[in-house]
Amino acid sequence: MSELLQNLIDGLGRGSIYALLALGVAVVFGIMHLLNFAHGELITIPGYLTYWAFNNGWNWWTVVPLIVVSAVITSLIIERVAFSRVRGASDFTLLLTSFGVHFIVSAGFLLYVSASVKPYPRPTWFAKTLAVGSLNIEVFDLVVIAVTVVVLAGTTWLLQRTMFGLALRAAAADFDAARLMGVKSDSVIRGAFALSGFLAGIAGVFWIMREGQVTPTAGINPMLQGVLAALIGGLGSLRGAVLGGLALGLAEVLLRSWLPVGIQNLTTGFVFVMIALLFIFRPGGLLSVPQVERV
Amino acid sequence: MKFRQLMGLLLALAMFAGACSSGSDAAETPSDDGTASDDGGAEEPSSDDEAAPAATGLDIDAILSADLDNCAAEPTGESIKVGMVMDFSEAAGFVDVPGSEVVPYVAQLANCAGGINGRPVEVDVRESGDDPALATQELIDWGAQFFIGPPFADATLPMQQTGGGEYAIFAAASTEPTLADAANNTFLVTFDDNGQSIASADFALSQGLTRAIIFTEGEGVPYSGVNPDAFKAAFTAGGGEIVSEQTYTWFVDTDFSSQVNEIASVADGTEVFFSAGAGFQITALRAQMEGQGLDGITYMGTDAFDATGITADPGGEGFIHTPHTLIESGSQLESVLADSGTLASDAPAFMPLYIDSMFLGIQGILDCGCNDPAGIAEAVKVISDFEGTSGSITYAGTNGIPPKAVSIVQVTDGANVLLDTIG
Repeated sequence: MSELLQNLIDGLGRGSIYALLALGVAVVFGIMHLLNFAHGELITIPGYLTYWAFNNGWNWWTVVPLIVVSAVITSLIIERVAFSRVRGASDFTLLLTSFGVHFIVSAGFLLYVSASVKPYPRPTWFAKTLAVGSLNIEVFDLVVIAVTVVVLAGTTWLLQRTMFGLALRAAAADFDAARLMGVKSDSVIRGAFALSGFLAGIAGVFWIMREGQVTPTAGINPMLQGVLAALIGGLGSLRGAVLGGLALGLAEVLLRSWLPVGIQNLTTGFVFVMIALLFIFRPGGLLSVPQVERV
Repeated sequence: MKFRQLMGLLLALAMFAGACSSGSDAAETPSDDGTASDDGGAEEPSSDDEAAPAATGLDIDAILSADLDNCAAEPTGESIKVGMVMDFSEAAGFVDVPGSEVVPYVAQLANCAGGINGRPVEVDVRESGDDPALATQELIDWGAQFFIGPPFADATLPMQQTGGGEYAIFAAASTEPTLADAANNTFLVTFDDNGQSIASADFALSQGLTRAIIFTEGEGVPYSGVNPDAFKAAFTAGGGEIVSEQTYTWFVDTDFSSQVNEIASVADGTEVFFSAGAGFQITALRAQMEGQGLDGITYMGTDAFDATGITADPGGEGFIHTPHTLIESGSQLESVLADSGTLASDAPAFMPLYIDSMFLGIQGILDCGCNDPAGIAEAVKVISDFEGTSGSITYAGTNGIPPKAVSIVQVTDGANVLLDTIG
């Protein structure tokens, strides 16, 4: 029982980061029908800034806001430089554009920074544990879960209680109709990218802390987890994205724990089998959203 | 519209800058025609200085100590042509990028020392990109007599095929045992995975460590599984016990909560931990282990620690590993690496392997007294007790894996300190 509880907390901690990443992916997808494979760059670029900052005497108190702010700015720049050029294009064009952004950013760091690992110190508290009965709970997991709850609450408030949120939800439901009703497309799209960047920035803080290093392709893994979680939850569904992230994190940790010794290294494979089964029975994901066909 | 034009201009400038950068790289490797000898390596002696005496044979000390401001008479014999097919991607760029800089630089030194028996050394570097076979063919057309290749089979095998198995290929930075194939003239320049992991196991046992925790990506998986396999076999054969064997994803995982929970139930803190994991992975693991109260564990790893900057990682203090070369402070080798700009690269300990690759090929040419690639390769196969910059290298009687001594070092105050030499 204690092992299960331990794994649940570990899984929720991991899943919370996935949830934040997935939510950022879902926000943009809802507005633009863009499955953003450049979402990981919102971690790669802040990751390199983290490396730079520590080499210039910064500490985590100053690096954390740097990560969040740089993720927001990066997201807005990517929208302005790349996606605004192809706004209204087919989903496939948008998808290819996002791949292009990813490869350009990776190649840029590869060519002009380094191909190798760039390490920086993790925060001293990141692996500390709290003993609760027979459980050893990582403080890091507790902080991640707590911050995620606060951020999700804030995001919910933003989407439900503000004009921006109303415009965003309206645009996500039917972009053209929202425009006819007076929603400014530029503002809502930039707002969506800023929100996506903010969520990636918060997730990035924890991701970057745990990694302790950055490489040109550092964004691939978080991007894949974010996209995968968004797909599991149901593309375009914000609640689904959160649910998908938590489900993915729990599945990874629980499977790793439950699989017999000898096949534990197939954990990722089993996760994908579960996802495949999910899509067989619920092709739209856990909380599928009716898609409005654009003509 | 203006923004679009501005972006177009910026893109054009970026592409131009990229092109210029490539050009600069090419210039650093020898010269426009790819020859090291034209790029200052065989500089004319200044009129004020008397030319230094030319070295004979392959005199490594003389080459490494050559003074580019006071060279011997320019070598005029038939060129020795060294082809380098290098992988500049994230996978191998950390070694192949500086490797492709240090070899042309040492070729310059060789030419400055009067060449090899009066023959200049030319080096041509081609990026393997997505088509190592094409890069190899271009170098064959150029006249390469032997090759220095990337550390992975996805490039080395096409190189073998393109050269018809007749060219000696030195996989300079590789420890992959299956890559070595003397029958097809492919050679490692350093110990292989088995060598470094068995040495680690022997060292651990010699320190009285008899309980081990293994991290593996799976039995037989190249590098991330083969190294733990070899450690496990040697450790248990020496009387040690494996108390926990855990799996992980190499170069990806940094959250080991599940593994640590399982380890905590069987470990008592006196164990040695061994894996082929990257430095940043094992520093994360150690933090999680220590967070669970497992403080006394000895952490051992492979050359992956060196490749991922363990000495620069604040969490790597105390880690024990097996680098390829110990570059002594104030040594001639350190001076050469510094002058070539590779001492400050991401993996300076790998650089002597690249230098030795060139020297081994040249030794083959000298031994066979021939210029044909097949003859050179045959001579390389029987090289014995070659004293290179990375240690003594013997191919005679092997499948292309030199039985080199393995240095066991510990990260102490951010630097590698030698603990023992095995083999």
